[in-house]
Amino acid sequence: PRFRFLPPGVGTGSGSEAAPPARRQSAMASYTKAAQQWATFARAWYLIDGKLQPPGKLAAMSVIRLQGKHKPMYHALSDCGDHVVIINTRHIAFSGNKWEQKVYSSHSGYPGGLKQVTATQLHLKDPTAVVKLAIYRMLPKNLHRRTMMQRLHLFPEDVIPEDIRNNLVEELAQPRRIPKRLDEYTQEEIDAFPMLWTPPKNYRKM
Amino acid sequence: MAAPSLLRGGWSRLVSGFLGLGGGWARPPARALRQVVEVTEGSTTVIEGKIIEDVKTPTPPNPSGQCPICRWNLKHKYNYEDVLLLSQFIRSDGGMLPRRITGLCLEEHKKVAVCVQMAHRAGLLPNHRPLLPEGHVSKKPKLNRYLTRWSVKSVKPIWKRGPKWCRVPFRVGHPLLMDNINYGQKPVYLNH
Repeated sequence: PRFRFLPPGVGTGSGSEAAPPARRQSAMASYTKAAQQWATFARAWYLIDGKLQPPGKLAAMSVIRLQGKHKPMYHALSDCGDHVVIINTRHIAFSGNKWEQKVYSSHSGYPGGLKQVTATQLHLKDPTAVVKLAIYRMLPKNLHRRTMMQRLHLFPEDVIPEDIRNNLVEELAQPRRIPKRLDEYTQEEIDAFPMLWTPPKNYRKM
Repeated sequence: MAAPSLLRGGWSRLVSGFLGLGGGWARPPARALRQVVEVTEGSTTVIEGKIIEDVKTPTPPNPSGQCPICRWNLKHKYNYEDVLLLSQFIRSDGGMLPRRITGLCLEEHKKVAVCVQMAHRAGLLPNHRPLLPEGHVSKKPKLNRYLTRWSVKSVKPIWKRGPKWCRVPFRVGHPLLMDNINYGQKPVYLNH
């Protein structure tokens, strides 16, 4: 069994041919070494739109990119994480009744210093806090977490500073498919949907 | 004589583009199909809405079903986002129509009621609001949500969720919709 990453001519094929085999055309042939190095190690800026999205799923996507786990050359000590910009954090959507049920607690360390705030109250006070806490708690609990949080940029609306907007490389797809409201359907779609039942003629309370 | 126009009662709101008027104006009767006939006799013009006797609805794929959902083979296939289906079973102020009128069987009526509630809480039915006095501004914060099982006013915060082995879960969705067909590989989680 041969080592599968060696090119096919090495090993058994070396003694069979008289002339050396022609150089194989690799997929990286059109990039210079400098360009490939730059593309591999550069820190990219990703944009995610948080409108009507659950903050947990936004956090899962951002945590992967902040750590650098979306890159094949990931190593924990390589500092290969990218920047993530999340806009419209004011318009995130929790599933279920989490706006009322989810409680964010903190204790100052002093007696009677327990503060418990529901997600609604926290969101009204600071529209980026819910997403920020979600990402902070999903990152690995080591010293890199603070640097990765510095590479996260949250904005409550879609107003972004000029320099961050110039850095953005790619916008990631939203994790949740947003359903259409009834007034967003076109008249043709509404007419194409059949009526499932016919009302009796004398019923007027509709 | 003006050409008779087919007015679909339930969609006249969308056609005329009533966006800002929530309540207060007299809503046209929804869902009954009437044909508007205008007759001019000298100086009097009579505009009449004649109820169409035979409505041309396409035949359902399963005519032997007992309720409309079974007749159209939609038994486990709808959710809170299928607003076109849900809007056929609600009144103009958002309430459900009675079962003896729509003809739904009990379990489907309950499922549709639950989906309608979730659609209202998700904001997918903006024109089916109850009649409120003019200029009424609600003091509730406008937060986006979806798959909300319980009403917003009735839910209390979970102050202590407990340790991981006996955690108090957040309930999402509704157990009546557990039997829905799921085309993805991930199962539907009701406890988050």
